[in-house]
Amino acid sequence: MEVSHSVKERTIAENSLVILLQGLHGHVTTVDLRDESTATGRVTNVDAFMNMRLAEVTFTDRQGTVSRLDELFVTGRNVRYVHIPDEVDIRATIERQLQAIHRVRYFGGRDKGRKEFPRAKHK
Amino acid sequence: MEEDEGAAGGAEQRRPRRRPGAERSPSPSRLDVSSSRFDPLLALYSASTPLPFPAAPCFNNLAEYESFQRGLLRPRGRRSAPSRRGPAAARAARRGPPAADPERIQRLRSLMVNAGPEQEAAEGGAAARRRRAPRNVLTRMPLHEGSPLGELHRCVRDGVKINVHIRTFKGLRGVCTGFLVAFDKFWNMALTDVDETYRKPVMGKAFYAEPQLTLTRLFDRLKLQESSVKKGADSKTVSEELALTNDSQTFGWKVGSGRGRAEDEREKQKRLGRAGEKKMPGDSLHLAARGEADVGSGTAHTEGASAGGTRARSQSRKKRRPKVDYQQVFTRHINQIFIRGENVLLVHLAH
Repeated sequence: MEVSHSVKERTIAENSLVILLQGLHGHVTTVDLRDESTATGRVTNVDAFMNMRLAEVTFTDRQGTVSRLDELFVTGRNVRYVHIPDEVDIRATIERQLQAIHRVRYFGGRDKGRKEFPRAKHK
Repeated sequence: MEEDEGAAGGAEQRRPRRRPGAERSPSPSRLDVSSSRFDPLLALYSASTPLPFPAAPCFNNLAEYESFQRGLLRPRGRRSAPSRRGPAAARAARRGPPAADPERIQRLRSLMVNAGPEQEAAEGGAAARRRRAPRNVLTRMPLHEGSPLGELHRCVRDGVKINVHIRTFKGLRGVCTGFLVAFDKFWNMALTDVDETYRKPVMGKAFYAEPQLTLTRLFDRLKLQESSVKKGADSKTVSEELALTNDSQTFGWKVGSGRGRAEDEREKQKRLGRAGEKKMPGDSLHLAARGEADVGSGTAHTEGASAGGTRARSQSRKKRRPKVDYQQVFTRHINQIFIRGENVLLVHLAH
């Protein structure tokens, strides 16, 4: 899956509802922005700060002017709503994303590789 | 000179040329790792670089090497001497394609979490102890007991319908009512079966004159609109009237109160005349509510069975500037929505 490479972003995403948005990668959704404009397109990427990248976007600005954009980047703070498509099950998506993070975090087994949460060394 | 030759020869190694007379291979000390005349670039490109330990095991990263050293990993080669990174690894990699893919895949699979049930069972006892209680957004939801967020969790658990007040840059935008599925500490919320009632923020001069929008005002306005729509009036024209006149409310309510037909018409004409209203052939539905059939009397109302049809007709008039009612209240239904917590004003539980 598309888990972020940054440990910091992973933990932020894991402990907030942004992870639900990250589970929407590839779905076509509508994002309502803070300034009353809307963007409908395919979600390419969502990061831990809710910055979103959309592709093939129909952007309706707050005056009502419609335009088509190949790619759109929205800062996380400017998001007001994200419409979740009907076929997406919220709980299941969150759990699936959490599992993906879990797999990435514990890759390599107990004694292999760099550990995200290092165990306390026995003195 | 020899260097250039050697470099050129190295670069063209794909087509090895054997000139009968000249010896193209550079002196062995230039390719010997331990010699002082070692030339790394040459070694990389030469076809005949000798390897000090040809049978050394190769690893993909330092972690593998670590594990190997601890004796957990079986070496691929006969010798147990660890491979050196740098030229040795580069040369080893150049020897051929990386280790057989199935084997590599199998090794990687053994490193994966939850790779197989046998592995799980084997580590079962030890793993249960060492794995800390998972802390993620779902497990954090019930942790807020006793605090307002704990109330939110109760809504999730018990399926309580909630009203979320949404804010605009200043004040109230509208209300979303729905069922809460998930939330987090930022008050980001995922709602289901949502009905949103809202108004676009008003800008410009009106902004300063605007009284603060409250929930009561919002719904009063909505009810007003809806009642006008029910009586068949085009909501746009009605709301224009509402915007224009102060006693708009009385207008709406007097409509059904059995005033004389002529009086009604005169009223309407007056108001619509002021608005510079469009003249369109009247369809009669609006006045049907008053028990009258007013057909083509020159009233400027456009009534249509479907509001959509009405709007289409009104939009066909290009000369007319579309008059947008900035105070109009909108309603919409959304099946599933995610709200960023920053925009939440308050959450009101419906009992």
